[in-house]
Amino acid sequence: MFHVLIIGAGTMGKIHNQAFALMKDVKVVGVVDSNHDNKWMDGQVFSSFEQALETMNQIDVVDICVPTPFHLEYVKKAADAKLNIICEKPLARSVEEGQAIINYCKEKNVKLFVAHVLRFFPEYVQAKALIDSGTIGKIGVARTSRAGSFPQGLNDWYSDYQSSGGVILDMVIHDIDFLRWCFGEVERVYAKGTLGEGYEKLDYALITMRFKNGVIAHLEGSWAHSSFSMKFEFSGLTGVIAYDSAKDKPIELHAHTNDAGLGGVAVPESPLQTNPYYRELRHFLDCLKKEIDPLVSAEDALIAVKIALSAIESIRTSQPKWLD
Amino acid sequence: MRIKVGIVSFAHIHVVSYAEALKRIEGVELVGIMEEDRIRGPKYSEWFETKLFTNINDLLMQDLDAVIVTSENVHHKEHVIASASAGKHVLCEKPISVSIQDAQEMIDICKANQVLLQTAFPVRFNSSIIRAKEMIENGQLGKIIAVKGTNRGQCPGNWFVDVNKSGGGAVLDHTVHVTDILRWILGAEVKTVYAEVDNVFTNNLIDDSGILTMQFANGVFASLDCSWSRNATYPIWGDITLEIIGSKGTLSVDAFNQKLNVYTNKSGYNHSFWGDDMDEQLLRDFINSIQAGKEEASITGEDGLRALEVALAAYESSNDKAVITLKFH
Repeated sequence: MFHVLIIGAGTMGKIHNQAFALMKDVKVVGVVDSNHDNKWMDGQVFSSFEQALETMNQIDVVDICVPTPFHLEYVKKAADAKLNIICEKPLARSVEEGQAIINYCKEKNVKLFVAHVLRFFPEYVQAKALIDSGTIGKIGVARTSRAGSFPQGLNDWYSDYQSSGGVILDMVIHDIDFLRWCFGEVERVYAKGTLGEGYEKLDYALITMRFKNGVIAHLEGSWAHSSFSMKFEFSGLTGVIAYDSAKDKPIELHAHTNDAGLGGVAVPESPLQTNPYYRELRHFLDCLKKEIDPLVSAEDALIAVKIALSAIESIRTSQPKWLD
Repeated sequence: MRIKVGIVSFAHIHVVSYAEALKRIEGVELVGIMEEDRIRGPKYSEWFETKLFTNINDLLMQDLDAVIVTSENVHHKEHVIASASAGKHVLCEKPISVSIQDAQEMIDICKANQVLLQTAFPVRFNSSIIRAKEMIENGQLGKIIAVKGTNRGQCPGNWFVDVNKSGGGAVLDHTVHVTDILRWILGAEVKTVYAEVDNVFTNNLIDDSGILTMQFANGVFASLDCSWSRNATYPIWGDITLEIIGSKGTLSVDAFNQKLNVYTNKSGYNHSFWGDDMDEQLLRDFINSIQAGKEEASITGEDGLRALEVALAAYESSNDKAVITLKFH
């Protein structure tokens, strides 16, 4: 039985709790959150990590779902207590901090899993499998898009660029990691974006990446759209693989909001027996159980941070940025 | 006023559509075509029931008001200059030319001869693009922040992949369309260009893939995928899409998405476009400008030159792995 302590009762904490609830060998022992009105938790709520540690006699895994700037602090606390760690992406706000997180976990000999959940989305997994099996030949151009409305977070922390790193570090990092999984290391990055400046509750970026294997990738990240969508398109010598969550919808509810049946909002879903978050967390726990390496390593997560920050630097300098 | 038109070369894939459109425009007569190719010449003169000339001077000696130049890109210059020197108005296929100097010379000679020089950018006449421009001008998007554009397509093959005739591959062929549209709807010039260019889809024949990033003088940034990245069985030959990001909203334009989905045993899945014919509107506009005695075409040679500058800067950027600032600024 895994006894999991969730840190942070925000959106991701809730989603992880729901996934854990479906696992027979997992017990969520509680959630640490000093700020949230913790309506989704049936279990115990702790105002601090220390309080949870004192109260609970068994904790095996700490699942860190707090805003990025607090990752290091909680990683240290969990590692000090010799607890294995699942940490939300992005790993850290800076490369130094990310490296410190990895070093600390190694020092304290605890496992660190970073929740790059895109590697567990079946549409992305399948696209990679098709590419790897040569279905569309050598890849020339890869395009990804991740768009939605500006996220709501505790104390509006997403609006604080110094904390969140904006749409690039928080959102595009998913696609950065996925593309790196598919194509290997990135040689250089060039980007344009608003860097969260000039517009309230809006961030937008267009990024070009050149991979060492020659693939040219274009990534769109948007917190300027009114609804969520994610897309990709891989063009190879002998074919194209494309996906658009806004178009490829298996189920969509259009509920009438009044007697005239007007003004409803469409709510699409992509039903699966187990959702990608479940698959991701299950994988991490299986890695602990079987003592095997995860599909996405903490080093992968750090490199993704590095690439995202290089894109931000490119925007600031108006120059391409080479990765070393 | 009856307008008499000649066509110089059936090399470019757009010309058949132009010639078909000419037939539908009242008061226009296709007097003849110039085509040196021994197969294309008889084929198209018969198809369009018009005279065939194998020498441009013979065509230009006819009673003509205007000439449509749809030869291989490298021949645009000689054909436009010959036509202008003979006092004919010119509609020149994009890209206007393969070098900035040549394009400038073409513009200057047309001006000196007081003939119209129109660059054939038909996308300006796509009804969805026109509607998007209207929405932006109405302020429905607020302040424009960025545009993500694509002009992807299948590799046209033929002389398009022969740099000695085309002057360049996908980057030259496809950059100019969307660049022109962006200049038009934003009312601003491109300041800097960055591009990654490669040649995967043609097996190294010529540049066939490119992602450009443009900074406009008014602060808008834009990206453009100009790649010939559609495989042979892709359901449509090409696309023009714009994702326009404004302070008050976003606008998604997929200019050719007025289509039927057609599934046949013979050719699999294909799109069948039913929207307005932008080529016909382009030609009507050109003919109208002649009839109205306008001093300048609605899409000028300079417009063609500005778009060409961006395409050439993309090559330079990719070669130098650096951001290129356009000399025009």
